[in-house]
Amino acid sequence: MRASALHDLHLARVPDGAGWIAAAGMPMPAAFPNEGDPATLALADASHWQRAGVKGPGAAAFLEALGLPVPAQPNRWTPLPRGGLIARLGLTEFFIEDAGAIARLIANAPATIGVYPVPRADTALVLTGRDANEVLLQTCNINFKALERMAGQLALTSMAGVGVLIIPQHAKSGADDIPLYRIWCDPSYGPYLYRTLLGIVEELGGGPVGMTGLDHLAPSPSDNIQPTGNP
Amino acid sequence: MKLMPCPVNGLRPVSEFFYWGEVRPMPDPDRCDDAAWADYVFNRNGAPGIKKEWWYHTPSGTWFIAERDTIRDEVLRTWLHASPEAEQQ
Amino acid sequence: MSRLPPVSGEWIQRDRTLAFTFEGRRYAGFPGDTITSALLASGIDVLGRSFKYHRPRSVLSFANHDANIIVQRGTTPNVRADITPLTDGMALTPVNVHGSLARDKGRLLDHLSRFLPVGFYYKAFHTKQLFPKWESLIRFIGGLGIIDIKAERLTTAKRYDFCDVLVVGAGASGLSAALAAAEAGASVVVVDENAQAGGSAAYGLAGQPAGDAWQSLRARAAAHASIQIRTATTAAGYYADHWIPLVDDERITKLRARAVIISTGAYEQPAVFRNNDLPGVMLGSAARRLIHRYAVKPFNRVVVLAANEDGYRAALDFLAHGIEVAALVDLRATALPTENTRKLAACGIPIHTGHCIHEANGLDRVSSIVAVPFDDGYTDPGRAIHIDCDGVAMSVGWAPAAALLYQAGAGMRFDEAVGQFVPDHLPSGIFAAGRVNGIHGIDRKMADGAHAGLAAAMHLGLVPRRNLPAVPPETTCHSHPWPVFAHPQGKNFVDFDEDLQLKDFENAVQEGFDNIELMKRYTTAGMGPSQGKHSSMNAVRILARLRGEPIDAIGTTTSRPFFHPVPLSHLAGRGFVAERETPLHGRHVAAGAVLMPAGNWQRPEYYAIRGRTREQAICGEALAVRKGAGLIDVGTLGKIEISGPDAGAFLERIYTGRFANMRPGTTRYGVMLDEAAVIVDDGVVARLDEGRYYFTTTTSGSATVYRELGRLNTLWRMNCGIVNVTGHKAALNLAGPNSRKLLQSLTHSDLSEAAFPYLAAREFEVAGIAARVLRIGFVGELGYEIHVPADQGAVLWDALMTIGKSFGLRPFGVEAQRLLRLEKGHIIVSQDTDGLTTPDEAAVSWAVKMDKPFFVGQRSLAIIRKQPRRQQLAGFELEGPGAEGVRECHLIITDGIIAGRVTSVAWSPTLNKYIGLAMLATSLTAQGTPFWIRASGGRMVAARVVPTPFYDAGGLRQKPVQAMAEAA
Repeated sequence: MRASALHDLHLARVPDGAGWIAAAGMPMPAAFPNEGDPATLALADASHWQRAGVKGPGAAAFLEALGLPVPAQPNRWTPLPRGGLIARLGLTEFFIEDAGAIARLIANAPATIGVYPVPRADTALVLTGRDANEVLLQTCNINFKALERMAGQLALTSMAGVGVLIIPQHAKSGADDIPLYRIWCDPSYGPYLYRTLLGIVEELGGGPVGMTGLDHLAPSPSDNIQPTGNP
Repeated sequence: MKLMPCPVNGLRPVSEFFYWGEVRPMPDPDRCDDAAWADYVFNRNGAPGIKKEWWYHTPSGTWFIAERDTIRDEVLRTWLHASPEAEQQ
Repeated sequence: MSRLPPVSGEWIQRDRTLAFTFEGRRYAGFPGDTITSALLASGIDVLGRSFKYHRPRSVLSFANHDANIIVQRGTTPNVRADITPLTDGMALTPVNVHGSLARDKGRLLDHLSRFLPVGFYYKAFHTKQLFPKWESLIRFIGGLGIIDIKAERLTTAKRYDFCDVLVVGAGASGLSAALAAAEAGASVVVVDENAQAGGSAAYGLAGQPAGDAWQSLRARAAAHASIQIRTATTAAGYYADHWIPLVDDERITKLRARAVIISTGAYEQPAVFRNNDLPGVMLGSAARRLIHRYAVKPFNRVVVLAANEDGYRAALDFLAHGIEVAALVDLRATALPTENTRKLAACGIPIHTGHCIHEANGLDRVSSIVAVPFDDGYTDPGRAIHIDCDGVAMSVGWAPAAALLYQAGAGMRFDEAVGQFVPDHLPSGIFAAGRVNGIHGIDRKMADGAHAGLAAAMHLGLVPRRNLPAVPPETTCHSHPWPVFAHPQGKNFVDFDEDLQLKDFENAVQEGFDNIELMKRYTTAGMGPSQGKHSSMNAVRILARLRGEPIDAIGTTTSRPFFHPVPLSHLAGRGFVAERETPLHGRHVAAGAVLMPAGNWQRPEYYAIRGRTREQAICGEALAVRKGAGLIDVGTLGKIEISGPDAGAFLERIYTGRFANMRPGTTRYGVMLDEAAVIVDDGVVARLDEGRYYFTTTTSGSATVYRELGRLNTLWRMNCGIVNVTGHKAALNLAGPNSRKLLQSLTHSDLSEAAFPYLAAREFEVAGIAARVLRIGFVGELGYEIHVPADQGAVLWDALMTIGKSFGLRPFGVEAQRLLRLEKGHIIVSQDTDGLTTPDEAAVSWAVKMDKPFFVGQRSLAIIRKQPRRQQLAGFELEGPGAEGVRECHLIITDGIIAGRVTSVAWSPTLNKYIGLAMLATSLTAQGTPFWIRASGGRMVAARVVPTPFYDAGGLRQKPVQAMAEAA
């Protein structure tokens, strides 16, 4: 069993056994008391999805040889055909998140010249809702509205003092298109970042959302649902 | 807060960066005398002017070179070390 | 004074009232009132006391350009009453008052003013012995409110924001600029410190035809989708690259714009005459704001002191609102004949051109003035005109509100024609419009705004560049060159915040402080809460005249943020302190860990046990490691993978040791130096296979080491890749004689001495988790450092702790580890070393291989080795009394001279004595040398140099099988 870096923080809100489910081999609360409305403002832990990275001058060719849709430009991402996504972080580093298949393939890739696997146990968050941009404005000093004008963009930046990878996406809530931000950080900063973001989210009238709400909003990669947006 | 153009990530607030120092070629340790080596290790030129410096974009781990006019507090240009722009030097 | 009948466009809502108290008395105001407008409407004359002489004060600028009326509200000091909205139930008290406002004991100071000369502080503090006396006196007479140090901390959210064009000031020029920029496609933010947008036109044009254009402008700007208007918001400063803090009641918004338009208008400036600070004497614009925004009648019978068209407009405005205008005193020899002058003359108002106000008289409010003929600074008191009045409105000139322009680096010049400073050249992306740009008059201001808005859009590339004809410069002077009138008895105030009179400036120049910056510091002009908004221009005029130079030659003082004071809670903000936790954090807390900060991590210092002291708990943990087994979370260590054909060669260049020749599956200690040969880090390097190494760094060094290695690899371009996995891996150190048996029960892998010897590295599954295991012995026992993916760290911990119950396993913290490694004589970089320590001094010369072609620090170390060694790290034991008082950093004193310092010291429960490491002068390092340590309080404690390791010198416990073999 894997454990989210936020496991103990969740436990403080949802007692053990009270509606925890195993999500891709990671125990997660199905729902929280006082959940946020994902269409307005909510924060979810999505660390259960699996991740792997690879970097080095040979990384792009290596991934292409695996048949993956490698973004041609730096700091772009694209959905994977079977769910999940591949992101190009800068020039020669790549980040992959999926249900596990590709992640395992990369993590166990034979060390090739110029290809260096990057093991990743990131804390992964989903910030969603019409008010999500306000949370970003209180924690990030870059203009996401400008970033979002171009599809398929990502940002490596600092959020509340923590280095993060952020991908702006969209989700459907009924007929509405609502902003959704995927956020990844080093797991050792995960509890701090989650506490900080959730504090702001709750101050703004939102709340946490569990696996059920998250699946409803942004179904997990294993279900073969692609992240929305048009990269 | 100043903005710094990272050659990979674009314009970002300078708080996202780490400043290392001026680009100073290391003398050949086998050929230079002790005084020249000590000068390289300990002395820095603080006079204002156009400087070539190492900078690091922390969230992405990108090292690059910035050319700055420290009199006018202006970043003139930035490039990745040993990139084609650098070869034009 | 009193409330007027409803005034068209007033900001107050009369449908309900707000109750509040001031000095304990109950009053009422309306929603929309400020504190000051409500107090004036309640008929109160004296609203504050001046800072130095405690003179009675009331409204001067009514625009936050003076600090006459500061009140305290509960625990909040420094409330600017003129601009702070009235709320229901406010309980307000005046500040800087001893007793009550009316009977302030401090008012006696007014009569002692000659004992408070200019440069008072410098003169008073010249004699050091008198410091405390002056301090208590000044603390008694000065001060702006009371700070409650027990007040609750306010956590204010800060936020960032972004726009194409920021317009500062929502007057006629600012709104025109915003519209022009927005129509060109820019996203625009307009800020204005007033509660409503519109600027001075609201009262400046009241009832006049140009009002329609202004009304339509206001409506169009408010309705435009790309324009966001933020009122009651101050642009508090200008920082590099168009970074402007916007301050409102709730927070600071740090706004990044791509272009900035400064349309901040101008501050009306007071005239300098005797008793110009009496309540009832105010700026014309202040009186008109009181009337038009708050329907407050500022006076019943007013004398208007004018030197421009604004004065005539004000006089007509007063008449229209039922205020008797006793006279208009015009500083100019002749007034330009305009519609307004004609109208006023037609009303039969006496107009005294070529006159000034010689003095105002009255106790707590002006009751009369004396006007005298005035010609370029010369007055003729012999031909005085006495006029009874209860108010004076001053409209003699303007100073541009150019603080942000100065901060942005604009060059300003004094334009004699318009009589004010105007921008001479503007930095890239900065534009100015309206009165701050020297353009007056509603139509011209709107044209100037539209020009600036379009110029900003062109700058951003939103519209093609073309030549934009500028609004022609002003030909009418709106500011009198010398609104300053000497008086033998003084009290003609230039700076109201600091109670500075004309003579103070004259004396300062006489005493040699005749440069504008020196004068400012000596007189403290412009150093009060309003930062020169109402005083700097007059100070500059006075200095120019005293020096006989043009104003341009005098210049202005430096303008610094913030434009208005900003609450400290706003500045502190929410406060982001990024903390790191290992995946075992929750386990530690559950096990009773007392946490300590280590860099930005939280680590268990020790695990508290009920009924035991901290020392007992730490000793218990250490003994568990020595006798059974202990488990410590070492996940905070930096963890870096380096792979590729050049990985070994790269490591040889960054570490002092040799790594290219390591056999796969082995580990080696590494020391890292900087270019000056100072130890910066150490760790263990494991070679996992031919092309793959894995190494650890110190907890505090992980980020900087990884960063610098990245730079060196960029520079050296070697064929290897460096991956930082610090946060992505959990790491545990399982140590103690039982550790092998314990670990064996969780793995099928062979842990025998032959299969997994001391200093070997292996990869195998522990408790079903893929692990990287290093057999190393930092704490000096048989031990295994186990690295697993971070998201499986807690599972590993639980598995070890569960099995460990039958092996006497105890978790141990940082303190026990420090003790255990000290017993082994192992150094901690940056505790036992400092910013100057070389490997020779730290006694790790054995890890330095000078015969390599290159490593960082090698050349410097070669030079250092040619010189005699000054100090070296050595082990010591404490003997005799006082040992328990010795701490790290205590000094070693020999013959009265510092001969070293203690770097580590602890009581060893295993050895039953105090042991430590000290950086000692080389003369003291021979084994057995006695020396003295000066402990806290000066107590000298005896110590003696002993060999290290203190414990298990042969290192046999780390490799017990070998030990058994040797014993056999």
